Amino acid sequence: MVTISELRPGRKAPTPPTRIRIKPSRGYRVFQAVNAVILIGVVVVTLYPFVNILAQSFSSESAIRQGTVNLIPHGFNLTTYKTVMKDSMFWRNYRNTVEYTVVATLISMVLTTCYAYVLSKHQLKGRGVLIGIAVFTMFFNGGLIPNYVLVSQLGLRNTIWAIVLPNAINVFNLLVMKAFFESLPSELEEAAAVDGLTTYGILWRIVLPLSKAVIATMILFYAVSFWNSWFSAFLYMDRSELFPVTVYLRNLIAGATGAGGMNEGTSSDTALQVAANVQAVTVVLTVIPILTLYPFIQKYFVSGVMLGAVKG
Amino acid sequence: MNAPFTKTTLSRRQALFGAAGLAALAVAGCSSSSSGKHSSDLSGNRDGAMAKYGVGDQFKATAPLTFSIMVLSNPGYPYDAKWPFWSELTKRTNVSFQPTVVPLSDYNQKRSVMVGAGDAPMIIPKTYHPAEEAYIASGAILPVSDYLDLMPNFQDKVAKWNLQSDLDQLREADGKFYLLPGLHQDVWTDYSLGVRTDILQKLNLAVPQTWDDVHAMLRAMKAAYPNQYPLSDRWSSPGPGPGANRLLASLGDSYGTYAGWNYQHSWWDSASGKFVYTGAMDQYKQVLQYLNTLVSEKLMDPESLTQTDDQAKQKWANGQTFVISTNAQEVVNTLRKDIAHIPGATVAKIPLPIGPAGAVKAGTRLENGVMISSKARQSKNFVAMMQFIDWLWYSDAGELFAKWGIEGTTYTGSVDDGTFKLAPDVTWAGLNPSGTKNLQVVYGFSNGVFAYGGSTKLLDSQFPPEELAFQNVMNSRRTLPLPPPHPLTADQREQATLWETNLLDYVDQQSAKFILGQRPLSQWDQYVSELKGRNSDQYINLINTAYQNYKKAHG
Repeated sequence: MVTISELRPGRKAPTPPTRIRIKPSRGYRVFQAVNAVILIGVVVVTLYPFVNILAQSFSSESAIRQGTVNLIPHGFNLTTYKTVMKDSMFWRNYRNTVEYTVVATLISMVLTTCYAYVLSKHQLKGRGVLIGIAVFTMFFNGGLIPNYVLVSQLGLRNTIWAIVLPNAINVFNLLVMKAFFESLPSELEEAAAVDGLTTYGILWRIVLPLSKAVIATMILFYAVSFWNSWFSAFLYMDRSELFPVTVYLRNLIAGATGAGGMNEGTSSDTALQVAANVQAVTVVLTVIPILTLYPFIQKYFVSGVMLGAVKG
Repeated sequence: MNAPFTKTTLSRRQALFGAAGLAALAVAGCSSSSSGKHSSDLSGNRDGAMAKYGVGDQFKATAPLTFSIMVLSNPGYPYDAKWPFWSELTKRTNVSFQPTVVPLSDYNQKRSVMVGAGDAPMIIPKTYHPAEEAYIASGAILPVSDYLDLMPNFQDKVAKWNLQSDLDQLREADGKFYLLPGLHQDVWTDYSLGVRTDILQKLNLAVPQTWDDVHAMLRAMKAAYPNQYPLSDRWSSPGPGPGANRLLASLGDSYGTYAGWNYQHSWWDSASGKFVYTGAMDQYKQVLQYLNTLVSEKLMDPESLTQTDDQAKQKWANGQTFVISTNAQEVVNTLRKDIAHIPGATVAKIPLPIGPAGAVKAGTRLENGVMISSKARQSKNFVAMMQFIDWLWYSDAGELFAKWGIEGTTYTGSVDDGTFKLAPDVTWAGLNPSGTKNLQVVYGFSNGVFAYGGSTKLLDSQFPPEELAFQNVMNSRRTLPLPPPHPLTADQREQATLWETNLLDYVDQQSAKFILGQRPLSQWDQYVSELKGRNSDQYINLINTAYQNYKKAHG
């Protein structure tokens, strides 16, 4: 810190003070140790089920039936993986999932961003009504059958739009984005307007580049939700080649577990091996893409969690 | 420029009334056409139908027809539009399907939504009674009992196999039934106990014939292996039942009551000519007593009532237990494979042990079936559709086709004289294990949507010799008569459901306590009065009234 006296001309620049290392107090070290132990415990507890599932997916059925599979596969084999992946319908449905997720996320992002930006402008006439409409849908829903009738009569059944359009705007995401846009200083936009940008120009050139964090977070939220969704597709698609992979895998699990012993399946060894660990293989196959993407978007997710928070 | 005081915005009251008016209009416009009396005039609906169609005739539509149908896609053999089943069916009957494919995992839900939205296909199979009751009030499904004269094969089988009283079980308060069920010639018993026969041999025990024999067998096993539970059961979920529900169901059949999976709240007491509450019956108490004895003598694992199937199977696989409930397919798929690593271990499904009710078979000869959408009645191909359904699902030729396929391609011989054999490269459920083409996956036959029910000979053709022996023993037993019909109206059903839910929870809870010895059976009378406190008397009175009313109205 430079004192006033040192600013007087003529004096030479002060030498920087030697760095003093503050030794952490004993209490602090104990705290760090306990913290580490607890957090490692949490990590282990959280990771264990997943590693167990991974091990099961590679294990032989007899090992699974005897309950000997823990963290490492016993009787390593790829039978279930091969069976599931050999089915062309599986790949067809996987492609559907990717397609639906990409298109749906894109459309959702465009719609949500526009709606949120508009709502963030306090001077908008009818702003209260627009917010009210959105929030109303959070609490009230037409119900399953009216929604089905609506989608059916709009001619959206058996098309991708039955999945994309009704779920396009998630109101929670909308409100988070609105809060974020509101937190951007209005002076920036006023300055841009003075420089001659139109509303769209401001949105595209000023606001969006500043909102990378919230946009990445919302993309993640939407993408994961569309990736995992199966109900809309199950409801509105009548042909198996239009199902996403989640419906395929859900059906596979339901059939393999054969509720109530009403199993109509085959009795070949492959079928039994598949039945033993098809759930584990399902989980692994559905989770892998998200797992591989996540490390790259993680930093946005972490900062995004606090985005909707009230700023002092 | 607007004149002053012009109302350009609605006052709140006006908006409210406007909205109410709109809503009323909308609702009025939404009412579906009346589903009351179905006209019996079918002259406008005979397009494509055969003029003369009777038992034994091959149905062939006089013009190519298409019917919409809901097809359940079983992941064991997922729906494939290229199955020879479809093309051969069209060749024989001139009918093709327009399918709505629904995954098995959520078939019931999608069916409910589609029927509820008025959008269902004309033919809705894979419906288990009483699921069709939910759709009756809205008029969405047809009272098929009104149209049986269009279905000669159905009527023929009902007459031949004396299925009248079975069909009466499906009738609603208006005397009609709304489901075309699968028809079996005989009650098909599949479930019993799977037992380690090598242990029986080792301990010099005979295969038990009665439940008392089973008790003695378990005692002997315990004496030889004191640190293990000889019996640890599975199938504790789903309900109804407190756990080990299949075991309870078997015991219920043998003691003359309903228990476990077979539990129904009312039991027909033919001696007194009325219904009694099942959970309070003496015979039900005896079932609980039997299991309680097993538990207290440490012969049955108390976890049988709560553990998952996987846990029970693990104990079996590790050789810790020697007896478990099973059906034919599980013996082959699970039990035998699980103990393959234990040297000398063998398993067999013993004939269902006999109890105080004697050597009997209980059950219905009907099973899941087909609902018809009400809209189909207006179609000009309605008669043809009914004839087609009659051929495919109820004629001997149709049932054989749906189950086994094309003679010369997928099978040879006949089911009537024991010469039936699957083609050498065709495999299905343990028959011809060396075959490469699965009958269901590659060809589309033996699909659970189309192939079920039929004569005993047709059923027997699917069993390996081991199971045939079991079936022969079971078929020699007397089939118990079914209770008389006692259908409830929609309002009564609502009230009954409320009581039933409450009662079932309580009965299951207390049954578990009695079995595990947490509540002594000496408190049985107290338990019965607790049931009365939960409206068991009112419930039974409702059932008895419904029975009397039905008897008066329909004889």
